[in-house]
Amino acid sequence: MTDEELDERLRAAILAEQIDTSSLERSIRKRMRRPRVALWLAGVAACIAILIAAFFRPQTPPLCVAAAEDHRREIVEGEARPWLTDIAAIQTLAEKQGVPRSAIAALGTTGYGLERARLCFLKKQIFLHLVYTKDGEEFSVYLRPRGSDSPFDGSVRQASVGAEDLAYFETDRLTAVFVDERSKAQAAAFARAGARVL
Amino acid sequence: MPTEQQQFEQIALPHLAALLRVARRLTFDPASAEDLVQETMLLAWRGFRGFQSGSNARAWLFRILFNAFHGEGRKQVPAPPSSPAINPGLQEAVEISEALGALPIEQRTVLLLVVVEGFTCREAAGILDLPIGTVMSRLSRARQELRSSLAPMAKEAYR
Repeated sequence: MTDEELDERLRAAILAEQIDTSSLERSIRKRMRRPRVALWLAGVAACIAILIAAFFRPQTPPLCVAAAEDHRREIVEGEARPWLTDIAAIQTLAEKQGVPRSAIAALGTTGYGLERARLCFLKKQIFLHLVYTKDGEEFSVYLRPRGSDSPFDGSVRQASVGAEDLAYFETDRLTAVFVDERSKAQAAAFARAGARVL
Repeated sequence: MPTEQQQFEQIALPHLAALLRVARRLTFDPASAEDLVQETMLLAWRGFRGFQSGSNARAWLFRILFNAFHGEGRKQVPAPPSSPAINPGLQEAVEISEALGALPIEQRTVLLLVVVEGFTCREAAGILDLPIGTVMSRLSRARQELRSSLAPMAKEAYR
């Protein structure tokens, strides 16, 4: 049997098959109208959801964004900066900035060890940047005397900026921002411990 | 001026029977074949804006069909058992159909596209996203296998 004969037999056998496509055609026409309406409705629903989410999304305070960036540069990326490591020198520096010595000592009672400190600018305001460690993990604590234009309130609130997790609050004396890049829960736990003693 | 849907229907629906014929030989199940063709048509409709008018609509639709067939991870269903023949002509159709069903899917696909649906090897290569050499070698092997499957039947017929 030649290729041509074989092909002819195959074609004759397959093409002889009766194929009724009328019901299939009807259901295709019906379904063709449906998806575009569904897609249009889904698009409208998605836009509404995005607008609602944007409207109700809690805004991260700019100060927290600045603190997260500072933590990433100085702690995560380890940019070379001059640090004070002597506790007494840190307390003196804190006092000069209006942060009571007692606040530094009090934070030391929470189970976190003070490693080093330096001054930094966040949103054009001077903050004392303290680095604490616990179980080999480093946490940044940014402190400054509470100003008249207080950005926070008394309760501990949380935010995330990029990979950094933050917890922040204010006492009647101080503004405090706690930053950690590994765990939101740990940043919040340290901040709650700090809020009790500051 | 025809609407976009009317244009699509004019271009795509004439190929429904060919698509269904091939889908049946891929799935061996009429309901699954209809589902596959329906899915093909809906995918084609969604992508119709990207279709260039004047290009080969039939090849475009078959390409979508095969992508849908492979993309859905459909299991290759074995060919159904033979059914009793009623007359000699029908008997031959059943036997050829069974021999075709017994071929590996890669060979069966090429035979269906080139021999039954009349695509060139180059067009089949485009539809299946394969080098033309692969299509030609599969076609040659498919013909050999089909011929050897049909040979005993031919001997029976001449007895």
